[in-house]
Amino acid sequence: MTLVSGLRAAAQGVPFMPIAGVFGSDLARTNGWRTVRDPYGDTEVYAIPAVRPDVAVIHAAEVDALGNARVFGTPFWDHPLTRAARRVLVTAERLVPTGHLARQPELTLVPHFMVEAVAIVDHGAWPGSCHPLYGVDYPALQAWMDDSPGALARHLEAAPEREAHD
Amino acid sequence: MTDPAEPARRDAAPEAARPRAGGSPTPGLANPMAADIAAQAGATPAWTDFSWLVIQLARCIREGEVTFSGVNSSLAMLACLLAQRAYPFRFTYINVAGGVDPHPARAPVSSSDPSLFEGSPAIFANADFYDLCLRGGMDLCFLGCAQIDATGRTNVSLIGSPEAPRVRLPGGGGAVVMLPTARRVVTWRIEHSSRSLVERLDFVTAAGRMATLVTPLAVFERDPDLPGARFALARLRPGVELDAVRARTGFAFSADGLQAAEPPTAAERETLAILDPDGRFAADLVR
Repeated sequence: MTLVSGLRAAAQGVPFMPIAGVFGSDLARTNGWRTVRDPYGDTEVYAIPAVRPDVAVIHAAEVDALGNARVFGTPFWDHPLTRAARRVLVTAERLVPTGHLARQPELTLVPHFMVEAVAIVDHGAWPGSCHPLYGVDYPALQAWMDDSPGALARHLEAAPEREAHD
Repeated sequence: MTDPAEPARRDAAPEAARPRAGGSPTPGLANPMAADIAAQAGATPAWTDFSWLVIQLARCIREGEVTFSGVNSSLAMLACLLAQRAYPFRFTYINVAGGVDPHPARAPVSSSDPSLFEGSPAIFANADFYDLCLRGGMDLCFLGCAQIDATGRTNVSLIGSPEAPRVRLPGGGGAVVMLPTARRVVTWRIEHSSRSLVERLDFVTAAGRMATLVTPLAVFERDPDLPGARFALARLRPGVELDAVRARTGFAFSADGLQAAEPPTAAERETLAILDPDGRFAADLVR
């Protein structure tokens, strides 16, 4: 969550974001976080420095040719991440007409003018889920934990994109 | 391990923080240390490690409260799903998948699975539930730990020295802001050992409003409104000796307020059986 405060600071164009909590944690020391005093009162709060990613890559369910991207289900951190980053790249399950998105514009998470490039990657969230199209592939995630020689190659071999490229 | 499972499903325990009890786990017994204690003491069969952990966690949930479970928290998720079904009161259950009072057809393997917003009338995503907690609107927050000390401070960052850790842990997620700001925090360990219940944490990830610690052997409580208050023993699992708990706990504690643990109710037992119909969650504790 402190990372998100950093993203929020970047998204809002300020050098830091005040945040509740943190007191008593060693993370303040290891990260070099400092406190600031409320200029309108006496409260001391931690100030998390802005985090401005060079590139954000998110996976969407639907995207149009312009880059308007829809995410169904929970967006997790897609919103602050895409607002904080300098450049936004989108992978998506499928390409849809712009008119399709315009029928329910509130479902579009990122408008096209913020998106630099898109790629259609069917099952691109594998082995994770992409609601409502597919759930988590737990056996594949378990296999992904394997750190023996060749494990990465086996993982890539099993990836859905592999079929598309063959 | 025969069942496929999400890697993050295990409790956030490094090997170094796990008990090094002799012998291999016995199928059907949750962990060798508890099994040894239970055998020595002739524990009653009313509880298993699994049922004790889930039901003791569920009993922390109170009527009308906003309650949250996060990632890597299968036992807390099960406790919330159990309380929804087994207890005669309403509360709000929100979770890291964005669900608000979800009713998944079955309990998912992962506590962040998208099925945890099945039946949910709203998506209340990460930014929203963190902000809710930070502004004081979260009544009960279940947060995991790898190490915990007598004042309920937690370590989910590393084992060893911060400069050269022996084991790096997944990190706290939102613990650093949720533990200080939730009204009440409840945590658990799937084993009870002086490696994880420690006098001195290797690293303090978060400090704040810890109220309850549930282990396979006992339940500890402290007053979250009193900074620095220490855990006291609140309940022992039937058949478990106080001396055995002291021997396996790295911090000193008072047992003055010890009360008898209520046995599992029929509703609790039946609901747990429905939530874990093939015993996969219970079996996972063995690993």
